[in-house]
Amino acid sequence: MSGGTGAAGAGSRATWAQRLPSLESSAVWLVLIALLILAGFISPAFFKLNYLMNLLRQATPIGIAAVGVTFVMVLRGVDLSVGAIVSMSAVVCAMVMNGQPENLWLGIMVAAACGTAVGLVNGLLIAYGRVSPFIETLGMSIVVYGLVQMGTGGTARGVVSPGFREALNGRLGGILPALVLCFLAAVLIGLFVQSRTRFGRGVYLAGANPAAARLAGIPINRVTVIAYALSGLMAAAGGIALLARTGVSGTNAGSGMEFDVLAAVVLGGTTFAGGRGGVGGTLAGVLVLFIALNLANVAGLPYAAQLAIKGLIIIVASAAHVWIGRRGGAQSQD
Amino acid sequence: MLSLAYQTLPRIYWALLSLLVIGVVWLPEFRTLSNFANILDQSAASAILALGQAFVIAGGLIDLSVGQLVGLVVVVSCMLFEAFPGLGGLVVIAALMLGAGVGLLNGELINRLHMPPLILTFGMLSVLQGSIFMLTDRSVGLVPGWIGTLSNGRVFGLPVSLILVAICALGAWYVLQRSIFGWHLLAMGNSADGARKAGLDLAATTRIAYLVSGLAAGIAGLLVAGRLGTGFPNAGNGFELDAIVAVVLGGTPLKGGRVNVAGILGAVLFLGVLSNILNLLQVPAFTQILIKGLIVIAAILMDRPGQALRPVRRVGRT
Repeated sequence: MSGGTGAAGAGSRATWAQRLPSLESSAVWLVLIALLILAGFISPAFFKLNYLMNLLRQATPIGIAAVGVTFVMVLRGVDLSVGAIVSMSAVVCAMVMNGQPENLWLGIMVAAACGTAVGLVNGLLIAYGRVSPFIETLGMSIVVYGLVQMGTGGTARGVVSPGFREALNGRLGGILPALVLCFLAAVLIGLFVQSRTRFGRGVYLAGANPAAARLAGIPINRVTVIAYALSGLMAAAGGIALLARTGVSGTNAGSGMEFDVLAAVVLGGTTFAGGRGGVGGTLAGVLVLFIALNLANVAGLPYAAQLAIKGLIIIVASAAHVWIGRRGGAQSQD
Repeated sequence: MLSLAYQTLPRIYWALLSLLVIGVVWLPEFRTLSNFANILDQSAASAILALGQAFVIAGGLIDLSVGQLVGLVVVVSCMLFEAFPGLGGLVVIAALMLGAGVGLLNGELINRLHMPPLILTFGMLSVLQGSIFMLTDRSVGLVPGWIGTLSNGRVFGLPVSLILVAICALGAWYVLQRSIFGWHLLAMGNSADGARKAGLDLAATTRIAYLVSGLAAGIAGLLVAGRLGTGFPNAGNGFELDAIVAVVLGGTPLKGGRVNVAGILGAVLFLGVLSNILNLLQVPAFTQILIKGLIVIAAILMDRPGQALRPVRRVGRT
């Protein structure tokens, strides 16, 4: 999938021993700690639990979507349609709920189904059509965006069921926001899937060495389809979380989210080379991303600078992981 | 004669022909000269961008940042035009240098960081977009009249933009399909490994390819600025996808090694005519967006070893 001068993706193959906590996988946690310390210097408010909880609440939609995208990226793919799926699922959920309390779960399920369906189509096209995941998911995001706009006529419709937002915006024990609980649940599910299911193992093997995985009998096509469907499902869940947090707020609420998600996943150590990284790193990546953006805000940088920062993070984090990977004593390229 | 044409023209020309026939037969507004001239004007920026993208794609690379680069050039040039009213020529040069400079930066980063071009230019897309919005969040600046003639003017009845595109296309065709550099570029696209072992300087080739891509964005940016009249920050959104789709529909494979400039021009025209017909049919904007996304997916589905898009028989070096 990756074009380029030949060095791309042909870099080090991690043996299972090298996948134990190493500089590469713990790098992001070190960055997180360093960032928190830095943040503490800038303002002691950063150390309050309330601040952290608020940060996590903000990060929940992106975080949940990032869990799904992590699997796709370990598989050497990418899912750029998550932003559009988030928007779509928020809109669909609100429209199905229509303000009726009995439609609450129906709305959630329909939204989740739509997201999974889009992911399924992505997966089928990429696995069997053998097209570039980048371009395909970019094209799909346009298709989904167009469909949502066509379906709503451009203005936000639908009303959230009563109790939906209240429930998800509440705090358990007065401290832990319910949304954050959902985020952590998604992370735990992701951790379980990636290390304890055949699908999860298949994803890692196929991402590390597709040819070998195929020869070993891993059903790569099926794994690919499931990975993208999962990503679509997670993105839909993120959209539902976004709906809970912000209410009905337009037809393009998730616009641009793919940059945040990608930045978080790459920061967490799951690079485009595939085969390594994971949901644990993604969690750290989400935290680092949001703290960094918050710091930028506090430091007075204009909101537009955040776009540039996200792009820089994607570039720098990818390059850094390539560099760490090379230093890690693995085989050199080509 | 017809069979020769069938065998050597990229397949996209048949789609283009069908569209033209449909348009001419069914839509009276389509048949007017001014409509055709309009189509050419509006496709000009895309055409030049696609020609620039052809350079990187031929080399097995890609440049996703060109859309936002166009936007940046539009905004910066409009701001400069307004701030320095007498120095229009210098502003043009500055705009071109901005485009080429960013292109060069892309090339250098890819050479040094050993990152997949897809990721690097995707990150750069965000950086550029952020830069645009750091400069302004609303339309800014004003464009002098003579830039407008570049995008909308007529000379001897022909659109000026058409002449510009023709010159760029001729240049691109010559460099890509008849020059030694083009040969090296295609070799790199075919097999970067083999090219390096054969002694080609991949870093320099990459650098030049991205320079051209960025320069094309500069030229396209000036055209867009001329057409809009003022600097909209969102002016460049999505342009990169249009360029890539045009390249692929024209028969140039995404993985590189082969290029077909004639096909690219045909594809740009095809997309322009399609958009024009949809507009004349008053298809709603959102539906057109949906169609655009479907075209992107269809284009990459067709760009597979099955070679549905390439000419049946290659004449000379294609």
